[in-house]
Amino acid sequence: MLRKLSYAALIAAFAPAAYAEEFTWAVTTDPQTMDPHAVNSAPVLGFLNNVYEGLVRRGQDMAIEPALATSWELIGAGEGWRFNLREGVTFQDGAAFTAQDVLFSYERAASEEADTSSWFSPVSEVVVVDDFTVDIMTTSPNPIFPDSIANWMIMDSGWAEANDAVRPNPDGNYATLNTNGTGAFSITNREPGLRTVLEPHADWWGEAAHNITRAELTPIQNPATALAALLSGDVDFINPVPVQDVARLKNHANVKVIQGIEARVIMLGFPHEAEALKYSAETTQANPFADPRVRRAVAHAINVPAILQTTMRGTAEAVNQLVSPAMRGYSDTLGGEAVFDQAAARGLLAEAGYADGFSFGLKCPNDRYLNDEAVCQAITAMLAQVGMRATLDAMPVQNYWPELRADNYDMYLLGWSPGTFDAEHPIRFLASTPNEEKRLGSWNFGGYSNARVDELLPIIQSEVDDLKRQAMLDEVAQILQDETAYVPLYVQPLVWGARANIDLVQRPDNFFILRWVTVN
Amino acid sequence: MTDMPLKPAQQSRLRIFLDSDIFYMFKKSPVAILSTIVVAILVLSAVFAPLIAPTNPFDPASLNLMNGFTGPMTPNAFTGDSFLLGTDDQGRDVFSTILYGMRVSLFVGVAAVLFAMVLGITLGLISGYVGGWTETIIMRTADVQLTFPSILVAMLIFGVAKGFTPVEYRDQMAIWVLILAIGLSDWVQFARVVRGATLVEKRKEYVEAARLIGRTPFAIMLRHILPNVLSPVLVIATISLALAIIAEATLSFLGVGAPATQPSLGTLIRIGQGFLFSGEWWILLFPAVTLLVLALSVNLLGDWLRDALNPRLR
Repeated sequence: MLRKLSYAALIAAFAPAAYAEEFTWAVTTDPQTMDPHAVNSAPVLGFLNNVYEGLVRRGQDMAIEPALATSWELIGAGEGWRFNLREGVTFQDGAAFTAQDVLFSYERAASEEADTSSWFSPVSEVVVVDDFTVDIMTTSPNPIFPDSIANWMIMDSGWAEANDAVRPNPDGNYATLNTNGTGAFSITNREPGLRTVLEPHADWWGEAAHNITRAELTPIQNPATALAALLSGDVDFINPVPVQDVARLKNHANVKVIQGIEARVIMLGFPHEAEALKYSAETTQANPFADPRVRRAVAHAINVPAILQTTMRGTAEAVNQLVSPAMRGYSDTLGGEAVFDQAAARGLLAEAGYADGFSFGLKCPNDRYLNDEAVCQAITAMLAQVGMRATLDAMPVQNYWPELRADNYDMYLLGWSPGTFDAEHPIRFLASTPNEEKRLGSWNFGGYSNARVDELLPIIQSEVDDLKRQAMLDEVAQILQDETAYVPLYVQPLVWGARANIDLVQRPDNFFILRWVTVN
Repeated sequence: MTDMPLKPAQQSRLRIFLDSDIFYMFKKSPVAILSTIVVAILVLSAVFAPLIAPTNPFDPASLNLMNGFTGPMTPNAFTGDSFLLGTDDQGRDVFSTILYGMRVSLFVGVAAVLFAMVLGITLGLISGYVGGWTETIIMRTADVQLTFPSILVAMLIFGVAKGFTPVEYRDQMAIWVLILAIGLSDWVQFARVVRGATLVEKRKEYVEAARLIGRTPFAIMLRHILPNVLSPVLVIATISLALAIIAEATLSFLGVGAPATQPSLGTLIRIGQGFLFSGEWWILLFPAVTLLVLALSVNLLGDWLRDALNPRLR
């Protein structure tokens, strides 16, 4: 008895002091690189926002606020933007931050090797005015430019040159595993797929609102395992919580669920450009998905309400365009969307000459979006009911993007969250004709192309009048729907789970910002 | 028996079997009788799954997602359909899925053991009979493979084989790749036992005699030695079957085995595991119990067979 008591006293005396400000969190997808310009995907950019910083950043309400730039203003009638940089900022290795680093980071992030280059398609030139002033010139007036660069992270030019990482490398270089940002946290240990350890950056310019002394990120691919770790207290935070467990978790005393609607729209994409299907048993000489009637048949065949009800347990919301209603530029005027109607789907297939249906391959990630594989299985069944027999190939996201880039699909699942929180973003990435030189359509895997959309995009980008701009966005949304360029399914929910003693802020872009975490 | 007269040969064979020690011991062992009955029921229901199962879970066109997560024996809130053991996340009837899944599990298990047996016996006979360098190479390979856990070897083989399979055939090929992977990870047991027994048998007079009358080594191995080393092989095969079924379930549980659209018992358990916290226990429990009962009864049968064929334990 005495011994038991003394153990209890020992644990009580030491445990809280040793662990109070350590924070561990689990995610499904490990950020595949530590290079902020190598991969334009939310798991990478969201995580690196804790380590690197941009000229501007997004606050808790998603509004743009000063970060490495203290202020910015339009130059003249809109020839560009002038950014006044913050003085006295140091990188985590001690080097000072100057305008040269901004120029270097522009050249790096806009280079051919970078996945982020399309952010800079409106930029004509970056001019260093003095050590703490930079002018970013645009080809045409660009009112939303500062909004569009919140994820453009600044890297130290001297560090990159010294370590032979002047350009991002998809096969990996020094910057893939090592970091040197100006952000609130620096990485002290990086073991890909195992753990990433962060500690506060002692010389950070900002006022630290968190109380973390050490943080650790662990990827746990199986959501049920992650949930068990959260319930047992092995981790303090998980993202996401499996949607089926939300109801039960809400009644749990030691755990809380933080829920919201994400900016991410889940959709199906098609190989518009392909000559023939790749994975069909019989349709080897034709590409049915090039016919808009077949694409519309797909939209008619999918029972989205059933997916929302059963697979997503009522946590997601249906959507009829590439952005969610919470985004700027969402189109309210859209009409004539395809609702669940199997007879209509069969009719359209027959009209297109596929009365007996056809077989094809459906590609799907299994660790990227909420219930992605289960949704794809449900879609496989629904399409089979109207005669489109899909073979489902679900894989981890690490293999998924390369497969899509290599055109190895007949249909694929994609989630898109506009980094700018504006309807222009998916048009630029998903609906523009792919054009490497202009850095357009970089995620338009299927090569969808419409002359009117291509014509409208630059006008939308430079239009200052909100009403005129919205009219053009409405027109594009209507074209994309009439041609069924994509089949938008639903807006993905945000479901985070944390121990009850953790205070944090959920941002609608699903970025987890460590400097807003308090361990009580 | 009386109204169905048997031919003399059949009759005598049946007579011999019914009079044999092994059948006598079988009659005396309730465990053996019970596990045989259980295995028979499970195998028959797997074989005749299309006749027994109310739905075909492998046909995606027959599924209704709105039926998803229906509890056992309770009507679905939207469709009003009721299912004996409930439905899974895709609206598949769990009872039908278990029957079809057991088919996959049993088929993979039996085929993998047969493959391992043929490979193991061949290599064991050759190394035992031929000896020399051939024996060294075969048996050292076996020893090296034994130092790795067989599930790791199977995962390695599965990964390599999957890499060589074109995507469009991956689903169809997954079952065969599983059989190959489990079979290749399991041949060592057979080879070692057969080699040991062959070393003993090849010094006996009847082998010498066969050699003297000029029979080829191939004929001697196949016609003379093999029948005399088969009884330990039978024991290993039965126990291996239980292990192979579990190995298949493990691989599928880890997500590297049978595809989700053609689930085996292990795949079903993997799917069900995701819904344990949320209270849909039937998706996990029923396939898990089925796997347990299947593996346990095959194993008990194997244990009994080992004891029955071991003269020292009589």
